[in-house]
Amino acid sequence: MQTHIISLLVEDHPGVLTRMSGMFTQRGINITSLTVSPCEKEGLSRMTVAIKGSESELEKVRKQISNLIEVIKVVNLGKKDAIVRDLCLLRVHVKDSGARSEVMQLAESYGAKIVDAALDSVTLELTEEPERINRFVDLMRHFGVKQLYRTGVTAIGIGAGLER
Amino acid sequence: MTREKLSGAEIVVEELKTEGVEVAFGIPGGVLLDLYDVLDREEAIRHILMRHEQCAAHAADGYARVLGKTGVCIATSGPGATNLVTGLTNANMDSSPVVALTGQVPTSVIGTNAFQEASTFTITMPITKHNFLVKRTEDLPKVIHNAFYIANTGRKGVVLVDLPKDILAGEAKVNLHPKETFAGYKPNIKPNQVQIKRVVEILAKAERPLILAGGGVISAGATEELRHLAEFLGAPVITTLMGKGAIPENHPFCLGMAGMHGQVYANRAINECDALLALGTRFSDRTTGWQLDQFAPDATLIQVDIDTAEINKNLPVDIPIVGDVKLALSAILALLAKKRKKKSESEWEKRIKKMHEACDSCVGDIPKEGASVSEILIKEISRILDDDAIVTTEVGQCQMFAAHYYMTRKPRTFISSGGLGTMGFGFPAAIGAKVAAPDKKVVDLAGDGSFLMTCQDLATCVENDIQVVVCIFDNRYLGMVRQWQELFYEKKYAQTGLGISPDFVKLAEAFGCYAERVEKPEELQDALNNAFDSGKPAVLDMIVGKEDKVLPMIPPGGSIIGMIGTERCKHI
Repeated sequence: MQTHIISLLVEDHPGVLTRMSGMFTQRGINITSLTVSPCEKEGLSRMTVAIKGSESELEKVRKQISNLIEVIKVVNLGKKDAIVRDLCLLRVHVKDSGARSEVMQLAESYGAKIVDAALDSVTLELTEEPERINRFVDLMRHFGVKQLYRTGVTAIGIGAGLER
Repeated sequence: MTREKLSGAEIVVEELKTEGVEVAFGIPGGVLLDLYDVLDREEAIRHILMRHEQCAAHAADGYARVLGKTGVCIATSGPGATNLVTGLTNANMDSSPVVALTGQVPTSVIGTNAFQEASTFTITMPITKHNFLVKRTEDLPKVIHNAFYIANTGRKGVVLVDLPKDILAGEAKVNLHPKETFAGYKPNIKPNQVQIKRVVEILAKAERPLILAGGGVISAGATEELRHLAEFLGAPVITTLMGKGAIPENHPFCLGMAGMHGQVYANRAINECDALLALGTRFSDRTTGWQLDQFAPDATLIQVDIDTAEINKNLPVDIPIVGDVKLALSAILALLAKKRKKKSESEWEKRIKKMHEACDSCVGDIPKEGASVSEILIKEISRILDDDAIVTTEVGQCQMFAAHYYMTRKPRTFISSGGLGTMGFGFPAAIGAKVAAPDKKVVDLAGDGSFLMTCQDLATCVENDIQVVVCIFDNRYLGMVRQWQELFYEKKYAQTGLGISPDFVKLAEAFGCYAERVEKPEELQDALNNAFDSGKPAVLDMIVGKEDKVLPMIPPGGSIIGMIGTERCKHI
């Protein structure tokens, strides 16, 4: 099943998130990630929803969500015409100085920042495309990932993508 | 108004009047005391006190279906609101415009499990077109205005407004009657002209065109346009359950209802047509059968619907048109008339007329040999009632007998629970219908199982002089389920027998209604006359065959041409 990303412009008040997520629930679709935040327009929020499912399933639920009164706009962001980012915070175990320098080298090559350090661990931040974060996390598992936090994807259309 | 500020309750009632509300069906409660205090003083709005909130919702729904005007129901917080849920779901499924007002505990205690608190806003979210929880008294004018605007535009539906006690009691200085709407609500109304052209090209060259009319045709008031198009094209019209009445069923081009319990000929027409124009229908499984590849296999499928989300939802179509059915049909007719003249009678047209003649419901009042008592009774009722009479139905066998054999002659005179299939709907819907059209005869075609689910509102009828006639098809079974058990579960009648209780005649009399038992179909005419002449709400307990079956039908999993029980249908 393919991952799809839908970007929604919605009214910013209580109940909108429930209403939107209810549409997925009714169709038995699992939301893989979800971000909600203020946007460029006052009183409106932007939601970025990542789901797994078939193209036709996505199209049906997209139309139903468009029908919601508090949803101003729905855009289906295909991978090619969107910039997709996920933010990851992870605490990696470092058993000795060798492990520590290896972790730091790998972090550097991925563009991850060190945001905290302790005697037996390093905390890293990486903002990247989700697949690249997956690869980085897999690497870090060799050392031992103590904690992992991800924000879920947010995405923006390339050029005039959002205005279609 | 001389006072500078108005209470929330006063604002609500003022806005209801502005929206043209004349009737509300409801039951008061603790948190609604302020609203009822104002409502009771208001002469422009008639409040009908119901005996169960479910009935209030069904009555508002029935009222809306008869008039096309938004129905209003009111219930208190907690159990009042949860009791509305079935009725609201029913109305929303059938795209019936209803506004529900519910009381709510004061905002200061929302979310604390306060007495009679339920999260009505969350509970009703998936069963309404939209809902509001009002948090400030000054928001009321915009909310009430938009509730009505949303309920009765686009694809019509239910809007619920949850009104906390302190919002109704509190005062605010407001501008009444706002025109402001919401940015995210723009119902699609105008059909795309390019699509119209494509449709006209298909229809102009189709040899065997067919029109499937759904509830959207009636909702849009497009029945005249439908008839014109059918006659111009020489195309038969078949309907869904919700579309019954979109064309007079005695019209020579009408082949009746299609689908699972539809007319054999309607289903055959689907199988044979080369272009199918579906109007305001979502192709529910009750219409298409379960084998979608066998539904209109040779046809170019055209779907007109006001709701974008219905296009391609249940059945992929070749040409979609999003928009109002009335506008779309007018545009199609105008362009078609330019493109070609009306053809002389085609082979297809001749065939349709033959099918129409053979088609039971269209022929009307003569039951065929081997007819069940239920069938004979429906045909009698169909014969006795005038063209303007309104029938409502409960759900199950009585409903399908009615759909099959009751000849509907005008739109908005056949009121039935289509999408949700709610037992107990018909009687309260009849109350709403009679209030909407007091000069018309209103008859509920009821099963004994269904009627017992909402019969307490006979008290409402008696107290408010609402003269509906309930005709009970009394077989002491949950008949439709029993039929399925007979046909598909080796006659094991698990939990479908209803025993001997109650005595419906005594029950009705206890409420103060006129009541009579009809033991034989021959007694029906007199009994109906007595009921109408009694000047009271009436109940006729009609004894039918215990094992009457509604046939033909498409068995579960079957296709549109795989009907069983067609022995009595002539092959044409």
